[in-house]
Amino acid sequence: MIEIRNLHKSFGDLQVLKGVDLTVSAGEVVCIIGPSGSGKSTVLRCINRLETPTSGTVVVDGHDIMDPRTDINYVRTEAGMVFQQFNLFPHMTVLDNVTLGPIKVRRMPKADAEHLGYDLLAKVGLASKADAFPEQLSGGQKQRVAIARALALQPKVILFDEPTSALDPELVGEVLEVMKKLAAEGMTMIVVTHEMGFAREVADRVIFIDQGVIQEEGAPKDFFGNPKNPRLRDFLGKIVGTGR
Amino acid sequence: MPASVPRHPMAFQFEPSVVVDTLPMLMRGVWYTIYLTVGGLFFGFLLGVTAGLMKIARPWLARKVAGTYVELIRGTPMLVQAMFLYYGVPMAVGIRIPPLMAGIIVIAVNSGAYIAEIVRGAIQSINVGQTEAGRSIGLTRAQTMRYIIWPQAFKRMIPPLGNQFIISLKDTSLLMVIGVGELLRTGQEIVAVNFRAFEVYMAVAMVYLVMTMSIAKALKMLENRLINRTKRA
Repeated sequence: MIEIRNLHKSFGDLQVLKGVDLTVSAGEVVCIIGPSGSGKSTVLRCINRLETPTSGTVVVDGHDIMDPRTDINYVRTEAGMVFQQFNLFPHMTVLDNVTLGPIKVRRMPKADAEHLGYDLLAKVGLASKADAFPEQLSGGQKQRVAIARALALQPKVILFDEPTSALDPELVGEVLEVMKKLAAEGMTMIVVTHEMGFAREVADRVIFIDQGVIQEEGAPKDFFGNPKNPRLRDFLGKIVGTGR
Repeated sequence: MPASVPRHPMAFQFEPSVVVDTLPMLMRGVWYTIYLTVGGLFFGFLLGVTAGLMKIARPWLARKVAGTYVELIRGTPMLVQAMFLYYGVPMAVGIRIPPLMAGIIVIAVNSGAYIAEIVRGAIQSINVGQTEAGRSIGLTRAQTMRYIIWPQAFKRMIPPLGNQFIISLKDTSLLMVIGVGELLRTGQEIVAVNFRAFEVYMAVAMVYLVMTMSIAKALKMLENRLINRTKRA
């Protein structure tokens, strides 16, 4: 589904990614953890080319995103994204947020798109908020709408960029519940997160990125139970220390 | 000893009736002023949006052209621009533009430069996350601008646009120097006949005030309508 080979990314003189290799198969749930500034969000943002890789290859469902002939807008419909700051469109209703992609990108008739929109809002438990505007929602509700918006294009993979990091603690659960449901339905997911409980419970594979490279990866049981990399051990120790 | 202002030979006496009588005589000038303002701002808005979008466009040349335009216009007085266009340019090209058309061009070109900055500023003030969210659902750059960024940016443009509209309306008075029979010039012609400068210019000022307040009021209503639209339900 996704093949990343020798991915490098620099911002000016700052080398953020120094050769990342990662393969994600269909239906897999991969969690990426790591300290802030380690480049984990950058990996995610290179997959749908919100950041242009400096070098390396990224192939999403057979589309090489570095190839100038690739229609990147199409690839983006195949790889939905959920942002830390939600980034809902504040001037549109919740339903319009969800249906914009299907109508403008997929050219779906409005009635069909709204039908789909209501279904997806029901799926994230927000059917009653279809006519509300984003500013009337809590953070957890906003993020669930953002998930519905990403789902509306029926993507093959969803990229989650720290989806719960901007939420009040009591709202984290409702978002993770929706994500668990998606995982159980077989959605391919790449999740950059600090939620170790979620990673342990839901991920098929956990990846630790630090200093621009993948330091360790494995099934959650080994990854958390028997970490080999000293940096990972140090990182997990600190996280337990802060009660996360 | 401060220099004394030369006065009318007879002792000055304020005549409110002259103000009232002057108002209907100013109507012809009011129409010219409205015509210049509406026409100038219509084209000025188109010009300003184009130049504003060019200033944030990817091609280097587009940014350079728009930037130079804004700098040239902002850096020179509108009065000079008007006289250059009406008296100067014909000497070079041999064609004199009719005063009214010249006036509309000056208002358009002048307001366009300021509107370009308003448009650019408003668009750049929208969080980059909005663009990323738009692009992430597969919208093109143009679609993201049209459906996501522009509607939000336009709301932020209204107060500074209102300001610019009022400035442009008042600036039409400068066009009297190229012989457009707008409001101030009409007043001046009346003064030339009746010598009641105090009352006539007071009436002129009142008419400008009514027009600028109307613009402010109309834009306030538009702004409220756009804001309320995201607060129902």
